[in-house]
Amino acid sequence: MGSRASTLLREEEIEEIKKETGFSHSQITRLYSRFTSLDKGENGALSREDFQRIPELAINPLGDRIINAFFPDGEDQVNFRGFMRTLAHFRPVEDNEKNKNVSNTEPLNSRTNKLHFAFQLYDLDRDDKISRDELLQVLRMMVGVNISDEQLGSIADRTIQEADANGDGCISFTEFMKVLEKVDVEQKMSIRFLH
Amino acid sequence: MPARMSSRAPAGFCRSLPELGLLLLLVFVLLQGSVFPHGADASADTSHHGGDGCSSTHVKEINRTKKAFPVLSFEYEHIKTPFEVSIWVLFASLMKLGFHLVPRLSSIVPESCLLIVVGLLVGGLSKLIGDTELPKLDSKNFFLVLLPPIILDAGYFLPIRPFMENLGTILMFAVVGTLWNAFFIGSLLFAVCQIPAAGLTHLGLLSCLLFGSIISAVDPVAVLAVFEEIHINELLHILVFGESLLNDAVTVVLYHLFEEFSVFGPVTVLDGFLGVISFLVVALGGVLVGAIYGIVAAFTSRFTSHMRVIEPLFVFVYSYIAYLSAELFHLSGIMALIACGAVMRPYVEANISHKSHTTIKYFLKMWSSVSETLIFILLGVATVGGPHNWNWIFVTATVFLCLVARVMGVVGLTFIINKFRIVKLTTKDQFIVAYGGLRGAIAFSLGFLLEHEDEDMKHIFLTAIITVIFFTVFVQGMTIKPLVELLAVKKKQEAKRSINEEIHIQFLDHLLTGIEDICGHYGHHHWKDKLNRFNRKYVKKCLIAGERSKEPQLIAFYHKLEFKQAIQLVESGAGGKLSSALPSTVSIQNIQPKKPPPAPETRERVLPQLPKAREEEIRKILRSNLQRTRQRLRSYNRHTLVADPFEDGFSDLLKKQKMFELEKKIKEMNNYLSVPAATSDSPTLRRARLASDPQSYNVKPDADGVPTIQVELASPQSPDSVNIVNIVDEVKRDREKDEDMGLTMKPPSAPSKQGAEEDAKDQQKLMRCLSDPGPSADEGEDDPFLP
Repeated sequence: MGSRASTLLREEEIEEIKKETGFSHSQITRLYSRFTSLDKGENGALSREDFQRIPELAINPLGDRIINAFFPDGEDQVNFRGFMRTLAHFRPVEDNEKNKNVSNTEPLNSRTNKLHFAFQLYDLDRDDKISRDELLQVLRMMVGVNISDEQLGSIADRTIQEADANGDGCISFTEFMKVLEKVDVEQKMSIRFLH
Repeated sequence: MPARMSSRAPAGFCRSLPELGLLLLLVFVLLQGSVFPHGADASADTSHHGGDGCSSTHVKEINRTKKAFPVLSFEYEHIKTPFEVSIWVLFASLMKLGFHLVPRLSSIVPESCLLIVVGLLVGGLSKLIGDTELPKLDSKNFFLVLLPPIILDAGYFLPIRPFMENLGTILMFAVVGTLWNAFFIGSLLFAVCQIPAAGLTHLGLLSCLLFGSIISAVDPVAVLAVFEEIHINELLHILVFGESLLNDAVTVVLYHLFEEFSVFGPVTVLDGFLGVISFLVVALGGVLVGAIYGIVAAFTSRFTSHMRVIEPLFVFVYSYIAYLSAELFHLSGIMALIACGAVMRPYVEANISHKSHTTIKYFLKMWSSVSETLIFILLGVATVGGPHNWNWIFVTATVFLCLVARVMGVVGLTFIINKFRIVKLTTKDQFIVAYGGLRGAIAFSLGFLLEHEDEDMKHIFLTAIITVIFFTVFVQGMTIKPLVELLAVKKKQEAKRSINEEIHIQFLDHLLTGIEDICGHYGHHHWKDKLNRFNRKYVKKCLIAGERSKEPQLIAFYHKLEFKQAIQLVESGAGGKLSSALPSTVSIQNIQPKKPPPAPETRERVLPQLPKAREEEIRKILRSNLQRTRQRLRSYNRHTLVADPFEDGFSDLLKKQKMFELEKKIKEMNNYLSVPAATSDSPTLRRARLASDPQSYNVKPDADGVPTIQVELASPQSPDSVNIVNIVDEVKRDREKDEDMGLTMKPPSAPSKQGAEEDAKDQQKLMRCLSDPGPSADEGEDDPFLP
């Protein structure tokens, strides 16, 4: 059928994705086959239901947020380019990339961009700040239902207090980066298979 | 002797009296150790003679006149062994003390070197005196007594996460690296031995390979001793250290393999194959044995809540038995010990009391420290004492080949490993890993154990081993610190984990697991997540007592943090400086800071100002706690150890505060009391109230006596602080709500909690029954929670 042909990946597309994300040819093809296996509707794009069909994602506390992160604002479908663009954040950082950075823009998998991705998962309303409520929501998801609101509240307060440098009661992106400066983000936020 | 000692020290050392006293003590101990055996020899002779001629003297005795009754007699023989052991341990510890008194010495020379030097001196000294009763570094003593504490200490406090993340790399270095070392050194040494000029042609290939396998293993004791002082970053530390631990399996297999073969002749392919299988059995078997004992220990610790005193004992004994059981089957005892400690730790720590935790930590550190010191000293002594057979060519060839093999092995392996690692190992890292390949006492003991070789060969081997050990410990040990500085290798980060890092790291873990699932890739995170889930669902329920089994990791971490802070607070003493020492969320009271926090001080944490009345309240708490500390020093009967007031006082404090608040609240005629979701608090509440002295929850502001806190023995479990804080917080929130609206009586504003009304009423009734209806003026004075 016609839709079959349109879902095959063309060479130019692979080249474009390669330039944009830095993945290698084999990786792009591998991820493309994964994309198509997830795409039950065979329309060349993934919807939220396609993601939710993945069983392990359902039991992941952050499952919904991760799924949302794939979809650009307001849209319900993500095509292969978008899929790869999001996954590019998790590519391991190459040592030699720092040298051959031709373009002016930072590669998608730089440390700052990785952290920005994580930050956006906290910051749902996109105001560039993690407020106490947003933090509480994340804590609640990670911790489960047995813990009381007050207990979580005190943890959230303490977290914000430790991180907040300018005293506005929220964690901004710079403060977020500063808190995680001792953590080896390049290793923690990289998936080996995407190497 | 004093002259020799002071010549070692810089001038002006002996000027201070305490240090002089220490020196004299040292001399005294040494003399004791050397004189008594001599006296013992003399008396032993006489008693021996006495025993010999017993039958003959028996006849004579009847004729002899009665001697005077001995008022003071000297009999050394029957206390000999414990006495000597104690003298040695004392001597080792005093040496350790002495090193740190000498100001600059300990920063230049690593302790291990100094200890070996001391051992050499002692050995030389006793040779001069002619005393041949020196304790040898007996293999049996070493492997059964001296080594286990060090390994247990390392295994129990092994940082699991970095270890697991780098497990592939560590295994590569440990297994492949050691094999490469052994075969390279062994075969090249054999080639060297073929040179007629060396006079070593009688050393066969298998003997050389045996020697290679002994000398190739990186030694955990030496690595620990040296690396602890240089504070390099976690990754390198865990790489070298992990390698030194895991290569034990390889060493054991190779050693036994070559020892068997060197006796029984030629090696066939089948033997090689069996060797590989044997390696797997030794390694995995050791880990399995250790894990089993670890789980049993964790399970035992679940039931120790009534007998807290012996909790540390279980940890130690189970681990030691695991070690011995593994050694029983010729499995790797070191791996068993590591596995046992690492497996039992999370569950045991959730079950045992805080004091037991401290006890375990300090006992392990103490034993491992003494063991390490003794090992190095005895190494020095054995060097002087042991029979040597110095063969220039063999020894130099060995040293040279060890270095070359190590460097080649590390570089080659890193090249392969870097293809699979996310964070690559740089050249600097490789250098440190290669340079950190220290040999130590294990190699020496293994050499000592050689039986099948003829004496001559054994002495050659031992001499070479000692030379290599000395070289690595002295040369490499002393120079590694300046090299680390020179190469600007990343150092260890000292700060403890903050709650931010903990939360975000967990967050990232979940995120990465999700992404892996989306990619369809069953990677590192996927399996870790599965293991965690399994752990949470089944294992924790079995092995952890009570409420703690359901506690999420984050909450446990937070509690630990708070607890530590509370202890620090009390230890730093009460007084006026409280406002600068209190974080805003001590979980006793959970108050939202009313004012925005001031500019950060020198500390990392930004701390808000406390309202005056709060300070008063906190001072009261601290005063009562501190007075309780003095009470604690009363001696007690070890069978009926009352649960320490301070230790369980944390929960007590919470309960006390809660009861106090509740009473206040009721007295002020606010009729509603939102009871939290968990209803198990009510029995606790009632029990607490019934058990404790009703007077205790009216803390009068000018209380001059110690508030009599009876410790409830009815609830020995770890504090249900979650639920209690729960109540406190809810009460607080309600209180604040009505503060804003003035002190009025309000109808219950929580419609969903109607069912709890009865509970609340019950509590009120009970409170009224029990509470002291005394002067109600107290209530008005106590105004702790008003802002």
